[in-house]
Amino acid sequence: MNLYLLAPEISLCALALVVILLDLFIGRKWILGAVSIAGLIVPAAFTIALWGTNETSFNGMLVVDQFSLFFNLFFLVSTALVLLSSTEYASKFAAFRGEYYALVLLAAMGMMLMASTRELISIYIALELTGISLYALTGFLKDPKSSEAGLKYLLLGAVASAVLLYGMALVFGLTGTTHLEGIKAAISAEGLLASPALLMGIVLLVAGFGFKIATVPFQMWVPDVYEGAPTPITAYLSVASKAAGFAVILRVFYEALGPVSLDWSIIFAVLAAITMTLGNVVAIWQTNIKRMLGYSSIAQAGYLMIGLATVSALEPGAIGSSGPSALVFFLACYALTNLGAFIAIIAISNKIDSDEISDYSGMARRAPLLSLALALCLISLIGIPPTAGFMAKIYIFSAAVDYGLIWLVIVAVINTVISAYYYLRVIRVMFLGAPLSEERVPSSGALRAALSFACLGVLVLGIYPWVLLRIAEAAVRMFP
Amino acid sequence: MPPEVALAIFLLPFLSFVVIAFVIRPFLNNRPQLSGYVTIASIGISLLLSLWVLVEVIKSPGHELSMPDYQWLAIGDTAIHIGVTLDALAAVMLIVVTSVSLLVQVYSQGYMRGDPGYPRYFAFMSLFTCSMLGLVLADNLLFLYLFWEGVGLCSYLLIGFWFHKPEAARAATKAFVVTRLGDFGFLAAILFLYAKTGTFDIAELYVLAPALLSATALTWAAIGVFSGAVGKSAQFPLHTWLPDAMEGPTPVSALIHAATMVAAGVYLVARMFPVFASSTEAITTVAIIGGFTAIFAASMGLVMNDIKRVLAYSTISQLGYMMLGLGAVGVAVAGGVLEPEHGLMLGVAVGIFHLFNHAFFKALLFLGAGSVNHATGTFDMREMGGLRKAMPWTYLTFLIASLSIAGIWPLSGFWSKEGILAHAWESTPILFYLAMITVFMTAFYMFRVVFLTFGGEYRGQSEGSHGLHESPLVMIAPMVLLAILSVVSGWLPISELLGGESHSFFGALASPLAWASLILAGLGILLAYAIYSKKWLSAESLRQRFAPLYTLFSRKYWLDELYESVFVVRILIDGLFAAFHWFDDRVVDGVVNGVAGGTVAAGRGIRRAQTGQLQAYGLAIFIGILVIVACLFIFD
Amino acid sequence: MLGNFGYIGIFLISALGFAIFMVLIPPILRRSGIVPKKPNPTKSSTYECGMETVGKSWVQFNFRYYFFALLFVIFDIQVVFLYPWAVAFKQLKLFGLLEMLAFFLILVVGFIYAWRKGVLEWK
Repeated sequence: MNLYLLAPEISLCALALVVILLDLFIGRKWILGAVSIAGLIVPAAFTIALWGTNETSFNGMLVVDQFSLFFNLFFLVSTALVLLSSTEYASKFAAFRGEYYALVLLAAMGMMLMASTRELISIYIALELTGISLYALTGFLKDPKSSEAGLKYLLLGAVASAVLLYGMALVFGLTGTTHLEGIKAAISAEGLLASPALLMGIVLLVAGFGFKIATVPFQMWVPDVYEGAPTPITAYLSVASKAAGFAVILRVFYEALGPVSLDWSIIFAVLAAITMTLGNVVAIWQTNIKRMLGYSSIAQAGYLMIGLATVSALEPGAIGSSGPSALVFFLACYALTNLGAFIAIIAISNKIDSDEISDYSGMARRAPLLSLALALCLISLIGIPPTAGFMAKIYIFSAAVDYGLIWLVIVAVINTVISAYYYLRVIRVMFLGAPLSEERVPSSGALRAALSFACLGVLVLGIYPWVLLRIAEAAVRMFP
Repeated sequence: MPPEVALAIFLLPFLSFVVIAFVIRPFLNNRPQLSGYVTIASIGISLLLSLWVLVEVIKSPGHELSMPDYQWLAIGDTAIHIGVTLDALAAVMLIVVTSVSLLVQVYSQGYMRGDPGYPRYFAFMSLFTCSMLGLVLADNLLFLYLFWEGVGLCSYLLIGFWFHKPEAARAATKAFVVTRLGDFGFLAAILFLYAKTGTFDIAELYVLAPALLSATALTWAAIGVFSGAVGKSAQFPLHTWLPDAMEGPTPVSALIHAATMVAAGVYLVARMFPVFASSTEAITTVAIIGGFTAIFAASMGLVMNDIKRVLAYSTISQLGYMMLGLGAVGVAVAGGVLEPEHGLMLGVAVGIFHLFNHAFFKALLFLGAGSVNHATGTFDMREMGGLRKAMPWTYLTFLIASLSIAGIWPLSGFWSKEGILAHAWESTPILFYLAMITVFMTAFYMFRVVFLTFGGEYRGQSEGSHGLHESPLVMIAPMVLLAILSVVSGWLPISELLGGESHSFFGALASPLAWASLILAGLGILLAYAIYSKKWLSAESLRQRFAPLYTLFSRKYWLDELYESVFVVRILIDGLFAAFHWFDDRVVDGVVNGVAGGTVAAGRGIRRAQTGQLQAYGLAIFIGILVIVACLFIFD
Repeated sequence: MLGNFGYIGIFLISALGFAIFMVLIPPILRRSGIVPKKPNPTKSSTYECGMETVGKSWVQFNFRYYFFALLFVIFDIQVVFLYPWAVAFKQLKLFGLLEMLAFFLILVVGFIYAWRKGVLEWK
């Protein structure tokens, strides 16, 4: 049992406790945000120090490999961006700022554990740690919409958890173990390849995890929750929580259920097609930008699931690594892009106090740089070069084409065309609409720093994706 | 020649865009004229460098310069290289783009004077030119597509430049959406070709695509590429955006119609010509669409009253000619009539030669229309007339351009049109007859414009004819230059450079075909003269005589209505979107809207509705699981 | 492994069977005439035994009980952990002590939090 392997998570937990205690004893609350953001350096440093290790601990429950370390960094960076964008927003809930920061940190810890556990029960606990923190954060504004969102998220999350546990129970019942490697061995050894009960278990797992990544038909909560939640938390949900879902799906399905990949890859392929289509088509009608981005994130989940579906159809059980690496790369690009878009929205709505797209009219004249940044992120979400979104789509589509999923790529390309409509509409309103007032929309330093980081990332990844791509490939290399 | 020259041609306009957008606009907004100077300087240098490239290309054996390429990125085992292609085709296109763009920018100095969006205008124009140059230089489909989209984006921004006009915003959206319909096929074809051949490189595709793809697959891939060209070059049935694109500033129209946007489609077909020529079905499609578009658009040009709309339909028609030229030679190559070695270059030469000539006279026509508008404040020809006296330079240059587009010897239009007609005669006789009728129509509608605008007496209501004035020198000078080019561009050995046939100055008159087309064009001019100048025939009575045809043409075959009311409204909006909307509205949105409704009922409302709502959400999860399970067990 | 599900199946079937059987007894006895129909108010009431409920079931009680209940649960769990730890203290050695201290520390943070937030004051 090597506690050092758990150092990033432990230090993050300690940071959360420190923030809570600080909140009790100091009056100047801005320090809390500063401490939370600065404190993230510690787990990040531990993660980087661990880079290159490949060990397991706690009887094989915890695994530290390139994959989990990559996701550790991913979650830490997105948490830092979310916290940066929260500093100004946090003034809206004056009473419980310490709790807010601590809950964000604890959710990040849960996500990190989700990516680095290799055992069903630990996965479930990590999932719940993330989930419960996020339920509370969703309802943080305490106005009717936010409370409604929090309650809905909580109840539906409980339903999804139940479904997930049922699926885990079935898999455990059939294989007699909760360790992913043991499950894989048992499936091959006991001839469970064609077992209908296992298939049922897989479907339930897909449903349980599908709730996290918001795939159709488990996406119903998304618009309501995204609209009601505090905007930084919406960003957090749409990026980090979703990424954690994908990380855990990669872990479970590639490591434990690899032998039956034919069964689940088709489920993911079909769900991907439906998810992206529904997300995009419904997004067209939205007038609220948070709701629109909610549906957009559903559609993006559809594109991401292409990466899950790219399993070789040629030989049963053969799994390609280009799908996962494309997926991981897409996640990183999507995270920067979506966070950038949300940060810009937070900056704007902090001042104009509205999320209606029509109120963004002429924003280019009131806040030229914010509008430009938002436009860049939206262009990246469409997938127009030279942005990260374009690269991400190219990689994930080419991976799918390599594995013979041409029909899915065609659906995805059609969807990309549809999506251009509603993203461009926002750009058009901002740049071509008449300003509703002449008042400038200023933004705080923290927001600008976070936004510049995201936009710079979007551009760098769009032009020179090499480095990250290498890291993404290294991250998924241990998948057989 | 160092390879950086090619990059510089493309990067200079981009630099100009960056300087205007990030230096001049924020910091030197009180001196907007700087942005114009920066643009002109950068495009001017690009033009000089393009001339250098052209000279080098002419000197080099095989008229092609090899350029180093760089590995840009690798996915797994496949690497994507980027590089530039510098052959005769690219060199000619570079000249067209930079020269027309430069003259248009100079003209814009006068036309756009005092516009509040002056720096923005030049920033977009620079970017537009840059995208088009990148498109021409790209040696692989991926980058070509990248700049292709860039061109589309810039056209959207420029057509919608006066966004405060609702028609402009609408036209911009229409241009973007309609061309994207074609782009979808193009992108699918690129991905398909990549899937089958594993390369984006155009030169490699020439060999690999016919070798690795089945005949049917090749046809579909080529048609996919062509659909992109159909959208961009405004060919039937995706031509509807171009006439509406008139809402942008007139110099933008000049650039779009002459050198950048619509030329991209023809250039794409020329660039991919060996792939097209490998499939008889695909190249026949190109020829038929081109030939049909030529006459179809010309017919609508006959009856328009807006001078820019006439010119727009004439562009569509002329682009149809170019496609027809490419298609006609391609059909001969695919059918084995022509040796591929010679035929492939010949086809490109025939099509691009017309593009080259067309660029100058069409840019001139638009600049002339802009000049007229500058004086009269309208584009409606019914309120013009008699401008010959007030605007002699505009009149003279416009007349030269009209003669050129009508194909009168020895102006430039004659030479390239002859090439297209001759090859159509050889390979596709039916399309040849259509093209001949189009020659007549072209001459008629162009001279209808000339007589209505410049002949007779001034008919405008707003101010008397004494208010009319010639445009400033900064606008006239580019027009004069373009007029000279419209005369002489046909004499340049462009066709030979591209590998096509040469023609002798007087020898061309020996062919009966040339006489046939000259007579038809002459008849067209004569008819226009008879109706609109001498009024021997009454336009009104003709209109009543041919009322059904007139209505058909002037309502543009009701295609706009068809697209909008049937396709967009009925199928998409009323059908599919409405179904989803209903679902979202009733099932998902109901509660949230209720919440927003009022704070009084909120407390009770939410709680009561939430229960129902959550049940619906939860139910969806379970039904979803059941459906997935059922599907798996049924289809397994 | 699948055999284990067999036991569950048998269990499920017998449980269901028992429930159905119990529900069916009264109508069967009644129909077959073994039991005569002699209703009276006590017999027809939902619960034959116990007290009549007084007042509504929506009783309001002080929300502060909830806080105390939560705090109670925290310390309850602490005790649950402490007993086995104390029993095995000698085997666990120093590491066990440190681990328990870490556990305490986290709980103490929670306690301080509750204290500072004024949960312990009955207002």
